[in-house]
Amino acid sequence: MSLYGWFGKALRVNLTTGNIKEEAIEEKLLEEWLGGRGLGTHMVNQEVPASCDPLGPANKLVFVTGPLTGSSFPGSGRFSVSAKSPLTGTIFDSNAGGIWGVRLKRCGFDMLMLEGAATTPVILSIRDGVAILEEAGELWGKDVIETTHAITKKLGKDVSVACIGVAGENQVKFAAIMNDGHRALGRGGLGAVMGAKRLKAVVVSGNKKVEMADPDKMDLIVYEADKWIKANPITSKGLPEFGTPVLVNLFNEMGVFPTCNFQGSQFANAGKISGETIAETIYSGRKGCYRCPVQCTRMVKIGASTMAGPEYESLWALGPECGIDDLEVIAEANHLCNRLGLDTISTGVTIGCAMELEERKLLKTGLKFGDAAGILQAIEQIANREGVGELLAEGSRRMAEDCGFARYSMQVKGLELPAYDPRGMQGMGLGFATSNRGGCHLRAYMVGPEALGVPKMVDRFSTGGKAGLTITQQNINAAVDSLIICRFINLAVSEEYFARALSAATGINYQPQDLHRIGERIWNLERLYNLQAGVDSSFDTLPPRLLEEPIAEGPSLGRTVELKPMLAEYYRFRGWDAAGIPTPEKLQELKLGEYSC
Amino acid sequence: MLKDFQKLGRDLFLSGLNSSHSGNLSVRYGDRIVITRRGSMLGHLEERDLIETGLAKNDSKIILASTEIGVHRAIYKGTSALAVVHAHPVHAIALSLLEDQIIPVDSEGAYLLHKIPVIGAEHTIGSQELEKSLPGLLSKYKIVVVRGHGSFAVGQMLEEAYQWTSSLEQVCRIICLTRTLQGEIKDQRSAKFKDW
Repeated sequence: MSLYGWFGKALRVNLTTGNIKEEAIEEKLLEEWLGGRGLGTHMVNQEVPASCDPLGPANKLVFVTGPLTGSSFPGSGRFSVSAKSPLTGTIFDSNAGGIWGVRLKRCGFDMLMLEGAATTPVILSIRDGVAILEEAGELWGKDVIETTHAITKKLGKDVSVACIGVAGENQVKFAAIMNDGHRALGRGGLGAVMGAKRLKAVVVSGNKKVEMADPDKMDLIVYEADKWIKANPITSKGLPEFGTPVLVNLFNEMGVFPTCNFQGSQFANAGKISGETIAETIYSGRKGCYRCPVQCTRMVKIGASTMAGPEYESLWALGPECGIDDLEVIAEANHLCNRLGLDTISTGVTIGCAMELEERKLLKTGLKFGDAAGILQAIEQIANREGVGELLAEGSRRMAEDCGFARYSMQVKGLELPAYDPRGMQGMGLGFATSNRGGCHLRAYMVGPEALGVPKMVDRFSTGGKAGLTITQQNINAAVDSLIICRFINLAVSEEYFARALSAATGINYQPQDLHRIGERIWNLERLYNLQAGVDSSFDTLPPRLLEEPIAEGPSLGRTVELKPMLAEYYRFRGWDAAGIPTPEKLQELKLGEYSC
Repeated sequence: MLKDFQKLGRDLFLSGLNSSHSGNLSVRYGDRIVITRRGSMLGHLEERDLIETGLAKNDSKIILASTEIGVHRAIYKGTSALAVVHAHPVHAIALSLLEDQIIPVDSEGAYLLHKIPVIGAEHTIGSQELEKSLPGLLSKYKIVVVRGHGSFAVGQMLEEAYQWTSSLEQVCRIICLTRTLQGEIKDQRSAKFKDW
């Protein structure tokens, strides 16, 4: 039977043996888990022991596209990678744009399973469906830009490269996999997992067409979705003109823009680094992912070099979080992270933590808030695990715990927090605490309801109703991450369109409610894996600073996160017991009994 | 300013000219514009619902502004208006689906509005097409109806633009009622406004 939207095929590569084989993916699995995060979560549950060493050969990297990848639906040119994270010890997925995912899918594969570990550095090349492993040779030790250029120079511009930089090779716990030059599968250290497997790069190119079940219907849905994107000021004006740094002034004015390792919540010099300032100073052009009408990437020019500019979170982590207001230094630091293959948020927040520990004379790091030169040096040291970098490369949790002052590490489950002070956004606080991959804003994306009014504006200071809203957001976003659609498209286009597009692509009737249910299953399956890995409800919390120290000034003055009541309600609404464990009834309802821990 | 927005937003909602979350209001201050937040409830406006951004130039506040910000800006650029009210009056919308222009049949409507143009567009929400067509019409007329969508009214102050919106709906209700009575209209004086 022919499939639409999916190819129903996976490629399995054993890096220990060099064995490469094609496998069929059960149609039922695709229908149930869609692709991306959903299918990745299922595969990790099935094949990666929860107790395994994330940097050992038992861990697997699961590259997955979605049923809309390569279609004309806006924001669908994405792919996702799942594994057990070396930073958090949880199940972990990360998705990225660019065009790499589309090219993998055009090879005729929905999924690429990488297992084992090579003895010497290798490159996996998949071109028109033919996969080979080659010696990485001199590419090992090269940075991301050099590696990408070397490969595309040799193989042509119709190939896409996903690779690691020096940070991944050195198994820095928050190393990223980078694709198409500057796109990052960031956060939980998937680059370290790739480095541990001694896999420098995965190169893809292909020409297979993704067949849609109802192309005419898809055209109409895309036409309507594009209309909403053009009509919405976020996607038609704010993001295209200023990129994600459009959020700097907004969050600073709300008093939820953390500074100096979350010691402050407003940055006096926010105007020096805002989206508006970037547009007037270092901006040199726009870029975007495959089939994206928004084109939010900023290209910036620093001296003679043109580079991808920092996104909002990167700008914050490498700037105000470390007390730095020099836009050019921040852009250089961001570029350096991209070249070395480091997650920018964890890099900045770990350095910020080291700065506070130094300031409090608890740890000698030589790093001080506002030290622009110091941050550039620290980034190099982290990637190379040199000097103080050896300590920082383990992430802020381990660094702070090792010196006995864990409270100064601004992370949840080991994942450093992003650019939002949850004391002024209660739902964001609950979202951080309950996130299955640690301190992440994208799981619940409470930026929508608590700051942008999407789908509706709610009182950011109130805890009332936040448990239910957080759950709904987490569920639908898990499904959207399985389709896989960019979060920004979701700011203008509702899930109804996603369900319609999925139906048109696959020929299977999906309703918005089905997406919520798929998302809920993913969320619960991730939870079950984490429980097996020892990440239980004691990890559903926030750094003490956010629970105990009220914001000292500004519009969010006097606020802390009132987590306890929200969390109790959250567990109850989730159908989990008081210890945060999904009840047998809930698992039965979700048909997840077979996965029970 | 907040009080003006609250008063008129509440009146627009209570008089049925907008549904719970529809419609938007703005005023112009030199090269700045203050407009209601996207998705705000006009009947319950708060301080956070008033968004100030540039008349021509975007800034970070643009991401909170009403979806119709482009149309409001275009109206300010192409007319002498200092306030714009966008509403969804139901009788006016119903008539717009049948007519290319609305000619009041009542004396007050004819006196105040003379004639109300109806224009169509392929995209009627956040429409770049309307950004082009509405300013020209609103420099000649006080209020224009976008077919199947709603009205855009201009004034030197919000209350004035609100008055044209309220009058429009009154005009359209009378026309609809008159049509349901199915009799012959005795007074055709307002017909002279057909070519206004």
